[in-house]
Amino acid sequence: MTQLRQLLSVLLIAISVTATAQEKIILLNEGNWQSDNGRMTYFENGKIVSNQWFRDVNGSKLGDTPNDIIQINDNLIAIAINWSNIVQFITPQGKAVAATEDVPNNRKLASDGRYVYVSSYGHECGSEKGLLTFERGYVAKIDITTFKVVDAVEVGYEPEGIALYNGHLFVANTGGYAFQEDHEYETTVDVIDAATMKVTRSVDTGQINLYGKMSQSGQYLCINSPGDYYDIQAATIILDCGAVISGKPDDQCFVKLDYAATYSCTTADGNFFAVGSRYSYYTSEYTFNYLTINPAEVLESGGTGGIYETMPGTLLSDLKSMTMPYGIYVNPYTGYIYATDAGSFAAAGGLWQWSPEGKLLGKHKVYINPGHFLALPPDGKFDGVDQIEADCDHTNDQIFNLQGIRVTNPIDGQLYIQNRRKFIYHSK
Amino acid sequence: MKAIVHGSTRLLMASILLITGTYGSSAHTAEEPDTTLLLEQVEVTARKKPLATVQSLSGVELQSLSSTSIADALKYFAGVQIKDYGGLGGLKTVNVRSLGSQHVGVYIDGIRITNAQNGTVDLGKYSLSTLESVSLYNANKLDQCQSASEYASGATVYLQTRRPTRDSLSVLAGIGSFHTYRTRLNAQFSRKGWSGFLDGEYLSSRGDYPFRYKSEFEDTVGHRTNSDIEYLRLESALFKGGFASHLYLYISERGCPGGIVRRLSDKYNNVGREWDTDFFAQSSFEHRFGRHHRVKFNVKYAHEYLRYNTDYPENQNTARVDNHYWQNDAFASAAYSWHPVSWLSVNAGYDARVSWLDADLKRFSVVRRLDQKAVAATQINWRDLRLAASILYQHYKDHTVTHVGAADPLSRFTPAVSLGYTLKGVTMRAWYKSIFRAPTLNDLYYTQVGNRNLKPEYTKQWNLGAEYQLSSPNWLASVQADAYLNHIENRIVCLPLKGTYTWSMMNYGETFCRGLNSTLSFRYMNGPWNFSLLTSLTWQKDLNRTDPDDADTYDKPICYSPTLSFGITAIAGWKTLSLTVSELHVGERMWSYADPEDVLKPYNNVDLKLTGSFNRFAASLEINDLLDVQYEHIPRYPMPGRQFKFTLTVSL
Repeated sequence: MTQLRQLLSVLLIAISVTATAQEKIILLNEGNWQSDNGRMTYFENGKIVSNQWFRDVNGSKLGDTPNDIIQINDNLIAIAINWSNIVQFITPQGKAVAATEDVPNNRKLASDGRYVYVSSYGHECGSEKGLLTFERGYVAKIDITTFKVVDAVEVGYEPEGIALYNGHLFVANTGGYAFQEDHEYETTVDVIDAATMKVTRSVDTGQINLYGKMSQSGQYLCINSPGDYYDIQAATIILDCGAVISGKPDDQCFVKLDYAATYSCTTADGNFFAVGSRYSYYTSEYTFNYLTINPAEVLESGGTGGIYETMPGTLLSDLKSMTMPYGIYVNPYTGYIYATDAGSFAAAGGLWQWSPEGKLLGKHKVYINPGHFLALPPDGKFDGVDQIEADCDHTNDQIFNLQGIRVTNPIDGQLYIQNRRKFIYHSK
Repeated sequence: MKAIVHGSTRLLMASILLITGTYGSSAHTAEEPDTTLLLEQVEVTARKKPLATVQSLSGVELQSLSSTSIADALKYFAGVQIKDYGGLGGLKTVNVRSLGSQHVGVYIDGIRITNAQNGTVDLGKYSLSTLESVSLYNANKLDQCQSASEYASGATVYLQTRRPTRDSLSVLAGIGSFHTYRTRLNAQFSRKGWSGFLDGEYLSSRGDYPFRYKSEFEDTVGHRTNSDIEYLRLESALFKGGFASHLYLYISERGCPGGIVRRLSDKYNNVGREWDTDFFAQSSFEHRFGRHHRVKFNVKYAHEYLRYNTDYPENQNTARVDNHYWQNDAFASAAYSWHPVSWLSVNAGYDARVSWLDADLKRFSVVRRLDQKAVAATQINWRDLRLAASILYQHYKDHTVTHVGAADPLSRFTPAVSLGYTLKGVTMRAWYKSIFRAPTLNDLYYTQVGNRNLKPEYTKQWNLGAEYQLSSPNWLASVQADAYLNHIENRIVCLPLKGTYTWSMMNYGETFCRGLNSTLSFRYMNGPWNFSLLTSLTWQKDLNRTDPDDADTYDKPICYSPTLSFGITAIAGWKTLSLTVSELHVGERMWSYADPEDVLKPYNNVDLKLTGSFNRFAASLEINDLLDVQYEHIPRYPMPGRQFKFTLTVSL
């Protein structure tokens, strides 16, 4: 009997370990603008581990309006914290390892495992070459061995989405400040050679304001354009990066679809989910769309095929029932589907989870404006909370400079960081 | 003997006036002999049969408060919430009984300060130093001859300019914490029934106050930057009998600091700078025909210029804008009241206002608004019973060639009714008022945000109250309490649009408030000594009634609204020396529904002010926030902690 019980408990542990290793999601909650309440949610195995994970691990706040999160390599994750002007580097355990403010007004991130590429609406960039200034926006290249900007290149006004394909960066320009600044909306996707950081090509899509999250499936990009909300309607651009690199003329590199992809993601089978609406200030009316897009079919057919108003299981009807959809994501490791509902913007948003077949598995309360996801590999050793305390103990005496680089011989009177707090070093 | 009695009566009357603040009708009495004036004032205003819910601060008490702007004086009133972004330059607005700042009308000598662009009045722009009294009426004042616009807000603040009674010339110099320097020149005269003043003030402040955020997960220490202000204010006024006129000019430059958020250094901050030039000229004339007729005419012209610039290298976070806005506003009103028998009066009024707004925004062109109001009102004063009823008609029509076109004209009738009864010195009152605020020009036409289809935001207020006064030749005690219900519909708010990346003005939200306002005051005078104790208390439950399906927000408290707040002010005076201590408590306020830790902590503010004068010299020393409490009205916008102010005035 005792043996049976032992066997059962061993089995149960084995099952729960397997289950624990299934789903690991980091979710960024933007918070309210200028309220310094951006937060990180960690979700594992169908449960919210914490809605303030960064704070739990590091004892300090994440910052104001986190806007993007990517995995650089097995040991490093980058987060663009827009209004704090910080690119924050953390381990997959959530531990802050470095941060830089050399890329103010940072927007979106891409990485090849060695460098992180950041798009910025700003006009200044601190780099190893000194302070670089640009009239329009730019893309910065951060070396993750030093966490310093090694190079930056000017692109269009207010560049947003950024993706890496075959050694080339694809940057969608918005010109989003056009209604306030003295320039027009942008219509181009700039192509940058990631090695040399030179713009090699600019693809004109003919559609203004290429704003929003850009999704990538192999050589294909899904780029949203909200239009100008007056005369130019929202649209979606499906871009073939391979065609761009091979030098095909602009009009053979993309297809414009008369749908919005305000929130998009790449599915497990290489398609895109696109959720969005087209809005007009003239009529104050919306047209919603919920799509599955097969990019290869779209490009092949010139936009007449490859668009399906279907989604697996109850996903589509569940999305329609949301108050204010704010993000959609498919775990690339497992195919589980996630979406967020920002609700009333002043209350906690919701994280909804579906099985790969589109069966709604649960709704979880997160924080304000949850919108940016990152899945961690399912069989990592990390299991949530246990190791955090040990990590904290381990780092207690280490001193970092403001760039987040560990310093062994601090200089008197200089500002450093220790235990996540700034202080002025005095040897005595 | 008679003279002595008269003297104490005068003292008492002054005290009554202090509390009641019913000064509006005093204009026509200036020419009459002193004693008659006092007696008539007693007849008209000794609140044996008060009807409106009013709180007032005036004369010595107003000047004894530790305050520089009108917002500082109003915060001591029950039911008032001040919204303040911190520092001298920060926008200061007042919210009464949670109606929202755009439902509070602010009137200088009976003429409303308007801002067609955004509908709010920045109280920081108006000085207390030229005022005789500040009064707050819930719903509206109930005078016998009022213009239509005086009926057109959910709560009304009356700023009554002081009429000089003698010739004088004085110069003030002041110095304060955070590199604040102030100087003021005041010249006034009073002769042959004419009186007037010229008042000029200049202030410069760096506003670089220290702040600290300390919690288990942060210890942020710093000095506020880009929080400086510099302004010049010039005012003059001229009075004779029922005629009053006022000129006002305010020129300022200020920094508009952002919230304190996580940053790795001070390299970048979100610099926005603002330049304002505000000017107005207004005139009013009131006249009485025989014993039965009164007329009142008001005219006003106002010009406002605002420039906002964010094009600085230390600001990398926003669009680089350099926008200019121009507003012009012309206003005229006529009111007539008929007093056929002693217990009845009838009031009719018509107002017209034309506003122009121009701005160098993209996709924007001049908007012109014609705003007309008409009112019919009556008051019955039958033995111990009082009744006031009014019906207000408002009509708004806009004209613009802006891209989306003008909004449809808006016209509505709204009623108000008050009933009062006095029994053995206790006056009970009940009133109801329905009023709306029209969407402002920003709400309707601001590029990329405005929504021309907005409906007006409605408020309905019910109030039940009582007040009682007790007095002797040396002291006076008064108490009042009002319980109220408010309902606000179609709140005008800015929200993101579903499935897009854009924000727009929308009608969204309903609020239901229950509350209790109470004030208690006690004044004692004996020889060279005088003591005052003024207290106010607000308890309220504001509930979000927007979306019954949203369990996280429905029937939950409204953000930023404290349940309990109170103020206590004690003034002790001996001859020309005076010491004021005031304490203000504001309870906990939540600022989001997402997490129970998203609250602004309760705070206590203790202010001290010591004043004295000798011969031609007067000095004052103020200490604000004596205990150096760190607090906020808006999350991450720290308020200054302890600060000192010293001023010296020389009269010539």
